[in-house]
Amino acid sequence: MSVTASAPRFLLPPDSEIWTSLEVYREHGGYAAAETAIRSIAPAAIADEVKASGLRGRGGAGFATAMKWSFLPKDGSRPRYIACNADESEPGTFKDRQIMERNPHRLLEGLLIAGFASAIDAAYIYVRGEYRTAYDALRRAIADAHAAGLLGKNIFGSGFDFEIHVHRGAGAYICGEETGLMESLEGRKGQPRKRPPFPAISGLWKRPTIINNVETMSHVPGIIANGAAAFRAVGTEKSSGTTIFGISGNVQRPGAYELPLGTPLREIIFEHAGGLLPGRTIKAVIPGGVSMPVLTAEQAMAVTMDHDALQAVGSLLGTGAIIVLDDQQCLVRAAAVIAKFYRVESCGQCTQCREGTGWLHKLLLKVESGAGSGADLEAIEDVARFMEGHTICGLSDAAAWASGWFLRRFRGEFEAHLEGRGCPHDATSFEI
Amino acid sequence: MPLSHELENRIRAEFPKYPEKRAVLLTALHFVQEEQGGWVAPDCILAIAGLLEIDPIDVKEVVSFYHMFHDHAVGQSHLQVCTNLSCSMRGARGLVRGLEEILGVRPGEMTPGGEFSVEEVQCLGSCGSAPVVQVNNEPFLENVALADLKSLVAGLQTRRRAAVGE
Amino acid sequence: MTEANGSTAKNPKVRVVIDGREIEATAGAPLLEAALDNGIEIPHYCYHPKLSIDGSCRMCQVQIQGQKKLAIACNTPCTEGLVVDTRSDEVADARRGVMELLLVNHPLDCPICDQAGECYLQDYSFEHGSHHARTTAPRRKGLKRVPIGPRVVFDQERCILCRRCVRFTNEISETNELRVFGIGDTSYIGTLEGRPLDNPYSVNVADVCPVGALLSSDFHHKRRVWFLEETESVCPGCSNGCNIKIGAFREEIQRLVPRRNDAVNETWMCDAGRLGYGFVGAADRIREARVCDDQGQQVVALDAAITAAAAALRRVREEHGAGAIGIVASGHLTNEEYFRLAGLARETLTTVSVDLAVPLGEGDDFLIRADKAANARGAREMGLVPGEAGRDLAGILNAVEAGEIRLLWIIGSKDFEAVVGTERALAIAGRLETLILQDVQPSGLSDKATIQLPGATWAEKAGTFTNYVGRVQRIRPAVHSPEGVLLDGEIFAALTGALSGRAAVPFVPSSVFDEIAAAVGAYAGLAHQSLGGAGTNPADVTEGVG
Repeated sequence: MSVTASAPRFLLPPDSEIWTSLEVYREHGGYAAAETAIRSIAPAAIADEVKASGLRGRGGAGFATAMKWSFLPKDGSRPRYIACNADESEPGTFKDRQIMERNPHRLLEGLLIAGFASAIDAAYIYVRGEYRTAYDALRRAIADAHAAGLLGKNIFGSGFDFEIHVHRGAGAYICGEETGLMESLEGRKGQPRKRPPFPAISGLWKRPTIINNVETMSHVPGIIANGAAAFRAVGTEKSSGTTIFGISGNVQRPGAYELPLGTPLREIIFEHAGGLLPGRTIKAVIPGGVSMPVLTAEQAMAVTMDHDALQAVGSLLGTGAIIVLDDQQCLVRAAAVIAKFYRVESCGQCTQCREGTGWLHKLLLKVESGAGSGADLEAIEDVARFMEGHTICGLSDAAAWASGWFLRRFRGEFEAHLEGRGCPHDATSFEI
Repeated sequence: MPLSHELENRIRAEFPKYPEKRAVLLTALHFVQEEQGGWVAPDCILAIAGLLEIDPIDVKEVVSFYHMFHDHAVGQSHLQVCTNLSCSMRGARGLVRGLEEILGVRPGEMTPGGEFSVEEVQCLGSCGSAPVVQVNNEPFLENVALADLKSLVAGLQTRRRAAVGE
Repeated sequence: MTEANGSTAKNPKVRVVIDGREIEATAGAPLLEAALDNGIEIPHYCYHPKLSIDGSCRMCQVQIQGQKKLAIACNTPCTEGLVVDTRSDEVADARRGVMELLLVNHPLDCPICDQAGECYLQDYSFEHGSHHARTTAPRRKGLKRVPIGPRVVFDQERCILCRRCVRFTNEISETNELRVFGIGDTSYIGTLEGRPLDNPYSVNVADVCPVGALLSSDFHHKRRVWFLEETESVCPGCSNGCNIKIGAFREEIQRLVPRRNDAVNETWMCDAGRLGYGFVGAADRIREARVCDDQGQQVVALDAAITAAAAALRRVREEHGAGAIGIVASGHLTNEEYFRLAGLARETLTTVSVDLAVPLGEGDDFLIRADKAANARGAREMGLVPGEAGRDLAGILNAVEAGEIRLLWIIGSKDFEAVVGTERALAIAGRLETLILQDVQPSGLSDKATIQLPGATWAEKAGTFTNYVGRVQRIRPAVHSPEGVLLDGEIFAALTGALSGRAAVPFVPSSVFDEIAAAVGAYAGLAHQSLGGAGTNPADVTEGVG
C-alpha cells in the first residue's frame, strides 16, 4: 500500500526550509496521505500498516505504536481521545520542537490519520509552555487546516469528524509523563496517576485515550504515503525508520539531525556534529536524554543508536538526545546538574522521589566540593537503589539511573574528589 | 474587577474545546499572566475560579505547582536562563553572573523598579543552540554570548520605554 | 459523605496467602485492608481505611508472586490465589529506604512533639528503619506551631505529605480547606488565604495525621501520651453516640479521641463532641450538696441532702398527692440510672408527670445530631415518659404555673433552662414550694434550689447509652467523681431506700442491665458483657444481622 502523491519520508524539511504554511506543506505532498487514508483505506488497515512499519514511540520508552493503539476498547464507545505529547522536556532533547516549528502540518496530518484509524473524536497536543514558537506555529496550522476543511466536520466528505486542539503546559517536566500530562490537561497538578487503570481504558476525562509523542505521530503520514516497507527500509530490524537525533555539549556543530535509527553514535558525533574541539577526546556520552545511563567513551565509540544496541551496553535510546562530554569536563558536576533537574522537577508525590532527588543533589554537591567521603558514595548508591522501581512513575528511576550510572561508570573520578581533594578538572570544566 | 471583560471572554472562548471547564485552567492562567504583569494575583485566582466554576484553592494549588506560573510579582522583563547540562556546558553560569552584574539582582530577585527579574530555569528544550535565555514567554534567545547581555538588556529597556510612550 | 473505598461488601470471597497464611478476603478489596483486618501488619502511611487510596507513601510495598517489581498493597486488589510475601529482603530494603528518606528532612523533635508515643514515624523507624542516621545536610525548614485553623496546630517540618488530611477535607468533611502546594521537595500542606481549616470535624485531621504535623490545639503540649490512661466510651454530646476513647491523667481528662465503629461513626467525631468534656473538671462544677433553710442555701453532707429530698418528696406527696410532684430529667444519664429513676417515680412516688428536657442545636447529615444528649432514646425506653394521664414537659410547666405541681425535681437544670428558657424557668422556680436540682453544671436555677444534689458525669460512670437509632453501647468510668459525690444511680437508690423505708439496694449497673433485659421488650436477650466495644442494636440482633 502506498499513496501516489507521496508525503516525504523525512520529518523535517530539507536544509533550513520552513513549511509552516499549509500551501507549502501541500506542495510537498502534504495531506495526500490523510486524504487517501480517510477516503479509501479501512481504519483497521491503517493500523495494520503502522504495525507492519515497526514504528516505535519516539518519546523515550520505545513502545510499539500500533500495539498502544490496539489497547483501546473494542466496544466503539465514544468519545475517545488522542493526547499528543509535545511536552518535550528531557534535558538534551529538542527534536519535537523542530517538527512543530518547521513542519507543524506533518504532525496534524499524523494525528488526523491516527484519529481516523482509531475512531477518535479529538486530539489534544500538549505542548510545553516555554515553546512559544511551536505553539504559535501549531495554532496557525490548526486554523489553516480547519479553514481548508482538513479538520472539523465531515473531513474529505467521509463523514469523519475530528478536531485538534493545542494545549499549553506551564513548565513541569513531569507533565511529559503520560498520566501526569492527562492530569495537567484536565486542569490539575501534573502528578502521575496510579496504574491501573491504564490510559487506553481510562485516560483523559476517564475516557479511552491513546497517547503518542509528536515525532511518533509525525511518522504516520510517511508510513501511509510510502508504505511500511519503505519505512522499514531504513533503520534496523527492531528500530525501524528515521529519528531526529539532537546532539549537544562538547561538539562543533550541535543541532538536530534526522538519520536512520541504528546510525553509529561515532558517525553522529564526528560526521554530522563536526566532532570535538581540537585536541579534546571524549570522556562520556549520554545517549538518550539525561535519564538514560551514561556511556563511557569506549562504549560510545562502538555503539549504534538503536534500541537493541544501546540496551546491550546497559543504556537506552530514550529520546535519542545525545550529550557529549569531553576530557576537560567534570562528571561529578554533570551528575550534580542533572540531579538538580530531577530535584526541581519531581512532582513530590512519592516519598522516594521527593526526598531522594533532593538528597542525591546534596550528596553530589558535597562530593563535588571535595567535602565528601566514601560513605557519601555509598549513600548515593543506596539512595539510587531505594528510588529505583519503587514509585508511581519513572521519574524516580530516571533520577536514580542518572546519578547511579555516572558513579558506577566513572567511580574513579568521583573518588578523586573525596577527602578534601576537590575537583581535578576545576580549571577546565564547565561551571555549575 | 481583576479580569477585564475581554480577558474573560478569551477564557470563555476556550471552553468549547473541552468536556470540562476546568481543563481551561492552565490556559486561563497563561492569559492572565500575559496581560497582568507576569504573575497571578490572589484576586485573579478568585476570578478564574469563578469563571471555571472550581474551588479557588484548586487554582492556587495549580499556580504553585507549575514553574511558569508565579504567585508573586516578577519583572516586566523576566529573564530565564537555562542552567541545565547543555547550557551549563556552554556558559550558562557565566550568563547568570553577567546578568547579576548588569542588573544588580540575584536569581529570584527583581530590580527595584520592577523592570527586570532573573530566574534560573531547567532545560528549555533548545540544547542544540545552548546557552538559551527566554524573556517572559517570548521565542527563545539562542546561542547567547556573555558579550550579548548588555545589548539584550538595553534592547529590553528601549522596548519598554517605547511601550509606555516615554 | 461517601464511603471512600467503594462498597465491595457484595463481592465474592477469595483466598489470599500472606506470608504462608491463608486468609479470606473480599474480591477487589485492597490487599492492605485485608491484611490489616486479619491482624497482619503491613506498615503504611498514606493508606487510611476510610479515605480514598493515594498510593504515594510507598511504605506498604510487598512482593506479589509472579510480579517482577514490588507492589503497593493499598492499590493491589485481592484476587483468588494471590500469594504475597511481606518479609522478603527486597521488601525490607524498600521499607528501610522509605524510612530513611522520610527522615532525611524530618526535624526529629520528638521530645517536644505531641505525637511522640503514637507516631508512625517512630514506630516504623524502630521496626523497619535503619538504626543510625547518616545525613549531615541541613534539614528543610518550615513553619512551626502555626494555627492552621482555630482548633488545629500545624508543624510543616514534620509533615510527610501523605495527604490523608487533604483527602479528609475533600472526601469526609467536604470542605476543601487543605491542599498540597508547591512541587517536589518544596511541597507543603496549606490553606487558601482567609479560609483556615475550620469545619465541624476539623480536628479529625490530627487523628488521621500519622505524624506530629497536625495536632489538636486543645491537646497541644498538654501531656505525654504514654501517661494517658485510655478508656473506651461513647461521646455524650448528642444522640449519635460516637465511639471514643477518653484519655485521662491523674483523674483529669486530657482529650477525647474517636474510636472506630463502622456502624456508628467510622473513625470520626465532631469537634464539638471532642472538645466538649470541659464540664467534667470545670471549676464551677457542682460538687457540694446544699439545702435551703431560713438563711438561704447551706452546704450540707450529701446524705443529709438526700434525706432532705426524701422528706420533701414524702411531705408533698402526703399533703398534695403524687400529682403535685413533677420530674424532668436531662438525656445524659445511663440506661441503668433511668431504669432506677423510672422505677422510683412509678412505684415509690407513683407520680406520672415525668419527662425529659433535651435541648436542640445544629445537626447535619453526617454525625452531628440536633438533639444534644447522648441517651434520650434510652431514657424513654427505660420509662422516662409521662405515665397514663401524666403530664409531659409542657404539661408539667403549666401545672407548676397553675399551682398544681408543688415540687419539681430537675435532673440537669442546665438543659431544662435551655429548653424552657431562662425567664420562664425562673418564673417556674418562683412558683414552686420545693425545687430539687440534681446537677453537674450550674444553671440560672442553681440559686433557686431548695435542695441541690451534686450529680456525676458520664466519664465517671459505667453503664449503657442507647443512641438515636437504638444501638446500645457501653460507657466506662475514666475518672472518679469528686469526693463526696455519688453517681446519679446511687442517689436514686438511696432515695428509693429512704422513701420506701427499706434498705437501699446497691446500684450495680451490670445487674441493673440484666433487669432491663428482662423487663424492657426491646432489650430482651441483651447481656451487659456481650455488648463489647462496639455495642449492639437490638433491632439488628432480632433480624439476625448483628
